[in-house]
Amino acid sequence: MVEVSGYYCPNCLFEVPSASVRAEKNRCARNCFLCPNCRNTLSVVPSDPPETADMRLSAIPINAVGEAPFFLYCNHCRWDSAEVGITFEKPTGLAAQLQRFEDSAPEFLEFERLKEHFEPFLRASSSSPALSTVHSHHIHMNPITAAASSALARDVPGVGKYTPLSRSRVGRERSTGKDDISEYKSRVEIGSVSGLGAAGEPDVEFVKHLENMEEVAELEQRWMNSWANSTQASDLKPLRIPLLSKKTKRCPSCRHILIKPEQKAQSVRYKIKLVAANYLPDITVALPKVPGSESARRASNLKSSVTATEPDKGPDGMIAGQTYPFHLAFTNPLYDLIQVRLSVQRQQTPADRRPPFAVSLPTSTFPVAAFAEAWEYEDDEDMFGVEDEEMDDMDVRGGRNPEAKSKTKTVGVLEKRANVTVIGGEVVISKEATGDVKFNMLVSYTYRSDDPVGEENEGTPSRSAGKPEMKTFSFSTVVDLGPVIPREETRTEFDI
Amino acid sequence: MEAPIYYSKSEFIETDTGNKVSRRATIAGPQNIILGGKTIIATGAIIRGDLRRTGPGHAVVISLGRYCLVGEGCVMRPPYKTYRGNFNYYPMKIGDHVHVGANSVVEAATIGNHVEIGKNCVIGKFTIIKDCAKIGDNTIIPPNTVIPALSFFAGSPGRYVEDLPESTMEVVEARTKSYYRRFMPFEGR
Repeated sequence: MVEVSGYYCPNCLFEVPSASVRAEKNRCARNCFLCPNCRNTLSVVPSDPPETADMRLSAIPINAVGEAPFFLYCNHCRWDSAEVGITFEKPTGLAAQLQRFEDSAPEFLEFERLKEHFEPFLRASSSSPALSTVHSHHIHMNPITAAASSALARDVPGVGKYTPLSRSRVGRERSTGKDDISEYKSRVEIGSVSGLGAAGEPDVEFVKHLENMEEVAELEQRWMNSWANSTQASDLKPLRIPLLSKKTKRCPSCRHILIKPEQKAQSVRYKIKLVAANYLPDITVALPKVPGSESARRASNLKSSVTATEPDKGPDGMIAGQTYPFHLAFTNPLYDLIQVRLSVQRQQTPADRRPPFAVSLPTSTFPVAAFAEAWEYEDDEDMFGVEDEEMDDMDVRGGRNPEAKSKTKTVGVLEKRANVTVIGGEVVISKEATGDVKFNMLVSYTYRSDDPVGEENEGTPSRSAGKPEMKTFSFSTVVDLGPVIPREETRTEFDI
Repeated sequence: MEAPIYYSKSEFIETDTGNKVSRRATIAGPQNIILGGKTIIATGAIIRGDLRRTGPGHAVVISLGRYCLVGEGCVMRPPYKTYRGNFNYYPMKIGDHVHVGANSVVEAATIGNHVEIGKNCVIGKFTIIKDCAKIGDNTIIPPNTVIPALSFFAGSPGRYVEDLPESTMEVVEARTKSYYRRFMPFEGR
């Protein structure tokens, strides 16, 4: 559930009051324009100052304001608005100056008249009971979002919406409401105005004399304009910059606010910020002792999408047909000790083929110590590293598989320090494996909660444990161990 | 858990505040450069602290915050322009937890905190990058661009692609701190 809590211009960072957003057509009404050619922001430049022959510009004190006429210039592709005949008398309030041209354009006037024509009908239909029931789910929205969404959700007469809800309604309206509209007579005949799309002959002329592909405006460059515009790149006009918005997010099931930004557009602080990273254990993946694979990867959290996958690209990879140990480090963000249990989801492979790799992880639960603020401040390793004997003690408490213990420490709990527990796993890669080694892992964790009231905003509750004060949560995540190097390739490498 | 990133001990100079500066980086005008601490200047980076504002007195040309990384072969150069007929350089200010990828050229005026800049980027003159923004690899940001907070820019010219998640600040902070921790000397050489 996303709601808009404010609008701002991405270039001048002006916070646009929501009342004026609609009037300004969701675009910046100050001095910000996009280059119609490359979508870079344009800058206002004065006309060239009177240059001396020897080009010694520094010798002449140029007036800071520059000389009229001013025009817009693109720093990236060198497009300038003088090319299309747009210049300004003063360097401020450009949008207002442009607006005058825009408002007098025949398409614009036509559209205004169309809106005017349908306005009484729209007002009548939006107040009808059929519509108000449909919009009842907007009841929790703030006025800004409500205005935006009702504008979007508004029915255009005769045009069916692709929502199952409205399908039946459109039919009903057609029978009742549509007759009320009088026939609309257009001010301008299509095709009578040259350059209004339907004009075929000039287009043919244009294409005949075409020398350079760049003279034709690309579809992307014309996308934002009305349907009837010229195909010539020389007719492209500067675009006002579309506004961006700050959003408030709610939990879709309980409607609790999860994210509420501060009013200031460029502040990265939040009034309310409840993110999964504060509740789910953070998992870091590493492939140790493999030459060249020093990059640690972060496992992506499928459900929360908070910890995004960002594989540091390295020259690493695993060779097919070999066995590799890997480490998973669990970091506990909670103030309580958690017991974690992992289960690897089986790969879905066709029956006639062997799975490309097999993963073994400890199956029993293991503890991850609680987070304590003191650890934040001690940066270095002096206090980390619990003694080995102590660790074995904890292993027993954690109920570790005795079988895994007898192995030479590849699978099982490898290390505990502060609120981090490192788990060893092993991956056996088959001889014909290719692609990335990626597997799904279900992480379940249990902890004893002291204050059950304050913990309402948890991530993804799935099932509760037997004891009332124990809390269990589980989430799925994808572990990416990196690419497999096919066998043939590596053999040639070894030969050299 | 965290695989170390080794560097040869003889190559880097470590300062009292934990800055690690490669001897193979070109630091021009060091008296005009401020490093916040725990900042890494990698091999082959060029930092032009010598391009200072004309005029008397002491001038800070480039200031970097804490836990920054200037990647291999990066060029950090203060922006310049001719204003009222006078050519001048202008200071460059970079916040905390800013990573600049390898071989990028930065001429920004201001870079906020928790900003990530990818590899092989060109950040044009007088660019303003707000907090927690991210710039993808191989991006060209034209001069005078403004990059709003929590936005991801990529392409040539760099354009707004998407909003970043609200937890970006924590994620970037954790990553820059872990990078500094993993960046350790290799005694063998």
